[in-house]
Amino acid sequence: MSVTIHNCQMECGGVFLGACALTLSGNDPSHPTSARKSVCAVQPAPITLKYLIPRSMDSVSEYKFQALDMETQNMLKEALNDPKTVDLEKLSNTIVNQSLKDITFCKDAGRICYALVQAETQKAATSVFRRNLLTRLQQEFTAREETRNRSLQEWVCLVTFICNMFDYIKVNSAPIVALVDPVYDCLFRLAEPDSLMNEEEVDCLVLQLHRVGEQLEQKNSRRMDQLFYLVRDGFLLQEGISSMTRLLLLEILEFRASGWTLTDTAQQYYYSEVAD
Amino acid sequence: MSKHQTYRHENDYKTEENGNKDLSRWSHGRKRGADGSLRRSHRVEESGKDQRSQSSRRPDIFTTPESEGPVSRIKNWGDEVEAEEMRTNVHCDMHRYRRRILAADIPPRDRKTSSGSSDSRESWDSKDSPAKGEMETDEAILMRRQKQINYGKNTLAYDRYIKEVPKHLREPGIHPKTPNKFKKYSRRSWDQQIKLWRVGLHKWDPPAEEGLELQQIEEIDLGEIMDFELDVEGSANTETESQNPASSGVSLSLPEDSFTGTPKKMMKIEDAEML
Repeated sequence: MSVTIHNCQMECGGVFLGACALTLSGNDPSHPTSARKSVCAVQPAPITLKYLIPRSMDSVSEYKFQALDMETQNMLKEALNDPKTVDLEKLSNTIVNQSLKDITFCKDAGRICYALVQAETQKAATSVFRRNLLTRLQQEFTAREETRNRSLQEWVCLVTFICNMFDYIKVNSAPIVALVDPVYDCLFRLAEPDSLMNEEEVDCLVLQLHRVGEQLEQKNSRRMDQLFYLVRDGFLLQEGISSMTRLLLLEILEFRASGWTLTDTAQQYYYSEVAD
Repeated sequence: MSKHQTYRHENDYKTEENGNKDLSRWSHGRKRGADGSLRRSHRVEESGKDQRSQSSRRPDIFTTPESEGPVSRIKNWGDEVEAEEMRTNVHCDMHRYRRRILAADIPPRDRKTSSGSSDSRESWDSKDSPAKGEMETDEAILMRRQKQINYGKNTLAYDRYIKEVPKHLREPGIHPKTPNKFKKYSRRSWDQQIKLWRVGLHKWDPPAEEGLELQQIEEIDLGEIMDFELDVEGSANTETESQNPASSGVSLSLPEDSFTGTPKKMMKIEDAEML
C-alpha cells in the first residue's frame, strides 16, 4: 500500500516549502526518510508525538475505579462475582454515562465491559449486559451529530468508547460485525474538513485508527481506502489546519502504509525528542 | 398481478439496499442517488442507516427473497450480535460434529453388542450417516433448528433435568434427548421431534405451588396446543405416555371429550423421524 503525493506545494508551519515529490511507500523504507528530510529541510518536525499518542496500546493501568462512585464500584464487583444479583441494565447505563463524561475512564471502560460480558456468559449463560450496552450505544450513535454540536468533548468520548467496545468485545473471538459500519461512520465524520480544524477531533481520529484500524480494514478495506483518501486530502489540501494536525495525519498515513506498524525510521522521526 | 408487483417491490428495495452499501463503486460518477435526489457531494455520503431512513420517505420494513419475513431496515445492534453469535456457534458445532463422525468412522463397529447401550457414539450408527453428503449443512435450516433448541434449553425444566440426570445415566425411553440438528429430516419430522422433546422435558418442571389442580390445567392446555396424538397405552418406547396420562393432544376442532379415552392415532418417536 503506498501513498504518493507528487508536486505539491505546502505551507507548513509558516515556512513555505517548495514543490517536491513526496513518496511514502510501505515497501521502501529508505524513501520516507529522505523524502521527508527534503521536504522539511528547513524546519524539522516541530514537535514530537511521543506524549500525544501512547506508544503502547496495551499499557497496563489500574482500572479507573475512582471515577465511579462507591455504589457503582460495589455493583461492579458483585456483578463480576455473580451477574444475576445485579441490575445489569443500570450498570451498563452508568458505565456509558461515565464514559461520555470522562475520556480517561473511557479507555478503561472497554476492559471493564469485557470483563462483565465474560463473567455473565460464563456464570449466567445470558447476555443481558452486552445487549443493554449495545442498545444504549446505538441510541447514542444515532444522536451523534446533535451530541457533536452540543459538546465536542462528549462526541470525542463517544467515538473513543465505541471504538473501545469494538476492540475489546468479541463474539467467539471475532469482532462485532454490527459495529464495523458505525465505527467507520464516526471516523469519516472526524475526517471531514470542519473536524480537521479541531485538534481534539484529529487526535481522536488518529488514536482510534492506531487502535482498531487494522481490524477495521480486514472487515471492510474499501471503506478504509475511502477514509484515507479523506485523510490524505485533508493533509495536502486543507488550509488553516495546524502543523500539529498535519503531523498527526502524516503519521497515520505512514502508519497504514507500513502495514499498521511503526517502522524504525518513523519511530525516530515522530516519536523521538532529538531534533534533526 | 399482485405477485409481479411484490417481486418488483422486493427487487427495488434490494437494489437500493445493495446500492447504498456499494456507494462508491457503482455510483461514483452519478449525479443522483438511488432515491432520485441530487447528491450533495462527490465524496462518500454518510451511510448512517437511521439518517437515511429519516431523510428519504422509504418504508422502514421490507421483504427480500432471502429473508423469512418482513425485515426491519433499522437493525438493532443487540439482535445482530446475538444472531452473529448463534451463527458462529452453529459453525463451531458443525466442525466438531464432522470431526466426531470422521473419528467414529474409522474403527469398525460391531452393532450387535451395542444395542441398548447408551454410549452416544455407538447408538449413532443405526441412524447416522457417516458420509458428509448426508449431513445437514444449510445455514438457514441449522439456524432455525438451533433457535428451536435454544427455546427448549432456556427453560427451568431443562436446567433441572441436566442437573438431575447426567448424560451417561440417560435411558432412551425415559429421558428426553435433544434432537440432532445435523441429521437430515423433513421440516415436519423435525418440528415433531422438537415438540416431543419439549413435552418430555415438562416432567422436570419446577413444582407448582398451587398443587395438583394447576398441573392438570397445564396438561389440558398442552393438549390443546399440540396437534398430534400421543400413545397413552401400550408400547414401551414412547417417553411421552408417562408424562401425559390425562391428555391426548388433539387439534382445536375436536370436541372436549377427546382428552380422556383412547386416542385416534398412535405415534412413536421413531415414526416421527420417518415423516
